[in-house]
Amino acid sequence: MVLVVGVVDYVTGSEISVTLLYLAPICWSAWFANRNAGVFVAITCALTWLAVDQLDRASVGLPWVPVWNTLMLAGIFAVVAVILAALNNAKNNLEVTVAKRTAELQRAQLQLVEAARMETVGRMAAGVAHEVKNPLMTLGLAADYFLLRKPANADEAALLQDMKEAVQRASNIINLMLDFSKPRPLQLDPADLNALVEHSLGMVRHQLLKQRINVVLALQPELPTLALDRTRMEHVLINLFTNAAQAMPDGGTLTVRSRLQKASGTSTGTEAILDVEDTGSGIPAQHLSKIFEPFYTTKPPGQGTGLGLSIVQKILQIHGASITLGNRPEGGARATLTFKLQPIPQP
Amino acid sequence: MKRILVIDDEASITRGIKLNLEALGNYEVHQENHALAAVQTARECQPDLILLDVMMPDMDGGEVAAKLQEVPALKHIPIIFLTAIVSNAETHGRETTIGGHEFLAKPVDVATLAAAIETHLKRSRDSYWML
Repeated sequence: MVLVVGVVDYVTGSEISVTLLYLAPICWSAWFANRNAGVFVAITCALTWLAVDQLDRASVGLPWVPVWNTLMLAGIFAVVAVILAALNNAKNNLEVTVAKRTAELQRAQLQLVEAARMETVGRMAAGVAHEVKNPLMTLGLAADYFLLRKPANADEAALLQDMKEAVQRASNIINLMLDFSKPRPLQLDPADLNALVEHSLGMVRHQLLKQRINVVLALQPELPTLALDRTRMEHVLINLFTNAAQAMPDGGTLTVRSRLQKASGTSTGTEAILDVEDTGSGIPAQHLSKIFEPFYTTKPPGQGTGLGLSIVQKILQIHGASITLGNRPEGGARATLTFKLQPIPQP
Repeated sequence: MKRILVIDDEASITRGIKLNLEALGNYEVHQENHALAAVQTARECQPDLILLDVMMPDMDGGEVAAKLQEVPALKHIPIIFLTAIVSNAETHGRETTIGGHEFLAKPVDVATLAAAIETHLKRSRDSYWML
């Protein structure tokens, strides 16, 4: 481009207005490349202009002139290149800042929407709890009364017992909604993760036996003690074990592994990892991205509230832990819980 | 025979509690479905323990408890609150109180209710003998 302008300059006899054409390659390189390229092209233009001017003078027999004009022109060209490059830089920075702020605003907006949704769920849960739990208590008391009065036969007793269990099941769903919308503060105590796993497995042993599910435990001995809310962590583990059992209606293997590993992104930190694996049919890909959303369920109507995994995630988040869910290459699903441990001091 | 007063705006609940506790044989149960009349009913029946609903339309359970505390003859009667807006997880394994009184999450079964009543009556008797 510089060469073309030089030729035009020579052909038109070094017209001052043609000199302005040198600004085109300078502006182009400073704007689309960078400042150094702009300055380099500015000096090249100044030298080209000098060469054309000298050739022009020589052709009409005029004497050689000092290069001061060239230096001045090179300076002007370089300043134009630097200013343009700076403007372009500012424009790029502005675009990055606007994109960052837009992302922050979108995130804040999402948080506001989430907070509003949680407030709505909370209000709804408290209202539903009051309106539903009172009738449930009436039903439960009636069942208790007839059980106390000695049912006429075993069938009557079984019916009344079913009624009590139905009341409890309905109440548990309301409790889940209440816990989801109004979590109580954490009660952190030193806890042995392996012991919690074994205790929680004991609580679902009946269901696992009924479904002919083998349990394989691969727990790393002497894991460091973690600060956990035991009741809530049991809730998390029971939920994961129950989900795994429901994914294997015709039997299978539930594997629970614990281990220590180096924390990703740090040189000194460690993480305690807990894997819960089943040999069921796995999680369909279209459900994976939504599986932690409140009220999202893949279970048949009446068998899940869609709150279980979102509560599990929430409980882990407030512990500073995390959960990922995915499918195993050999079949079945795997939930991986990651608990951050304090960095181990280096000698 | 211990006298229990049940205060709840739902008549089906007070009736259910009355029938169940009386069927157990150790209790005489009085019912009150209007929070505003609760103090008067308590004065009349002089219960050993009060079961008190938290959410009632005229006056909530906390206000009723405060009114009962203002009456010297009633202020030492133990109260167990019954509430529908807490989950079992919130009460599980921990001492849970409203203004120093225990509360139970609805729906509560008769066995749990009777156990809580006995605990409170025993505590109340122990503190009486310590006076």
